[in-house]
Amino acid sequence: MKTFLVLTRKELSAALLSPIAYTVAAVFLLVLGYTFTLTLFATKVANLQYIFHQIYVLSILLVPVLTMRAFAEERRNDTLELLLTAPVAEVWIVLSKFVAMLAVMLAIYALSSAYALVLAWVGEPDWGPILMGYATLALLACLLVAVGVLASSLTENQVIAAALSMGLFLMLWFADSVAPMLPGALEPLALNLSLIGHFKPLVTGSVFLSDVMYFISATLVALWLASRRLADR
Amino acid sequence: MTSPPIQAVSLRGVSKRYGPTPALADFSLDIAAGEIVCLLGPNGSGKTTLIRLLSGFLSPTAGVLQVAGFDVQRQPMQARQCIGYAPESAPMYRHMRVGEFLAFMARLRQVPAQQVDEAVARVAGQLALTDKLNAPIPTLSRGYRQRVCIAQALVHEPKLLILDEPSNGLDPRQIIEMRNLIRSLAGRYTVLMSSHILSEVARTADRVVVLLNGRLKGERRVHPDDTDLEDWFLSLA
Repeated sequence: MKTFLVLTRKELSAALLSPIAYTVAAVFLLVLGYTFTLTLFATKVANLQYIFHQIYVLSILLVPVLTMRAFAEERRNDTLELLLTAPVAEVWIVLSKFVAMLAVMLAIYALSSAYALVLAWVGEPDWGPILMGYATLALLACLLVAVGVLASSLTENQVIAAALSMGLFLMLWFADSVAPMLPGALEPLALNLSLIGHFKPLVTGSVFLSDVMYFISATLVALWLASRRLADR
Repeated sequence: MTSPPIQAVSLRGVSKRYGPTPALADFSLDIAAGEIVCLLGPNGSGKTTLIRLLSGFLSPTAGVLQVAGFDVQRQPMQARQCIGYAPESAPMYRHMRVGEFLAFMARLRQVPAQQVDEAVARVAGQLALTDKLNAPIPTLSRGYRQRVCIAQALVHEPKLLILDEPSNGLDPRQIIEMRNLIRSLAGRYTVLMSSHILSEVARTADRVVVLLNGRLKGERRVHPDDTDLEDWFLSLA
């Protein structure tokens, strides 16, 4: 556990000293601010449902940029050799990267809560759906960051890592669209893998255990695979 | 009757294949505590593979590797705790300062929190890095990078120090400094290093082990005045 904290601190300082996290946050908030302003003026409704869907799309586009360095850079700089020859279990190395990247994503999401405060200033928003929306976004961030870390563990090239994770995100996103074209047993499988199919009910306030479990289990599977990938050498 | 002393390093029948390509074949070696052993061989002879197997970075296809009596495969945490490893490329985190990097590596290698500063000061003194502790890592010269890399390998006072091509990329003055540095570690640490510079080997190591095409071709004790080392090596090659 102590080693995990040491590693997480290192990951956080690396993330905060790199311009990538700030660039991702700036692009994220700029696009979101633009959308929020337009939506508020157009609908005059005090809720963030549309914003949550925007965050979903932006996260799919921006998380790969954040996670691409996780292992790819360690491999490229040979520092992975230092980590893997220290008395540290691979799972702690993976978890520290996951927790650090997740913290950065959650911090970026937290900055978007400024829009909720604007709504509270100009209207009377229903706080239940807003809190549920942020809880769903936290689950989404867990899944995306875990898959991003897994993709980064597979290559030393950051661009390939980013392309791979974005490809995986898009495949998960569109899984329900291709489901009707698939034969027999594969159709329900594709439907169950659908990212948007599990995100939408949760973010709109319909809480099903299956949706929550989807995010948790996909996160754990991705982290386990990343850990196996490191151990397999 | 007493049991035989535990060797600092014991390798038995170690093989490593990358797909169909053998990198190391049926390699066995013992290293006594306090000894400086140098792996000598041309590029691609299997030196780095052997070092990576011993450090735990790679897994062997066959064979047993032990460090201070701990099996590198079955007791990886205990074995790694006994090893200090400085890879050839002298890798380090570019966003850190030297002191910060050494403290990070000390914590990673389980040095108790209250002893980290002391351990960093000790290795900084040993490697003449005290005035560089606040230097950002990207500003270091190649020679200083090698020193920092060896310092991180020593920060937890390992039983076995593994140095992969420590003189690589250094200028003649830095090579002499590196040689003196490694000699100064003799007795306190067991050192396994690799090199392909014949003249350096005689001046640095107690024993030389020649690897060619992943196989042990010969071994002998050496001393700084060795005159026939070159002939011996050529006869093996």
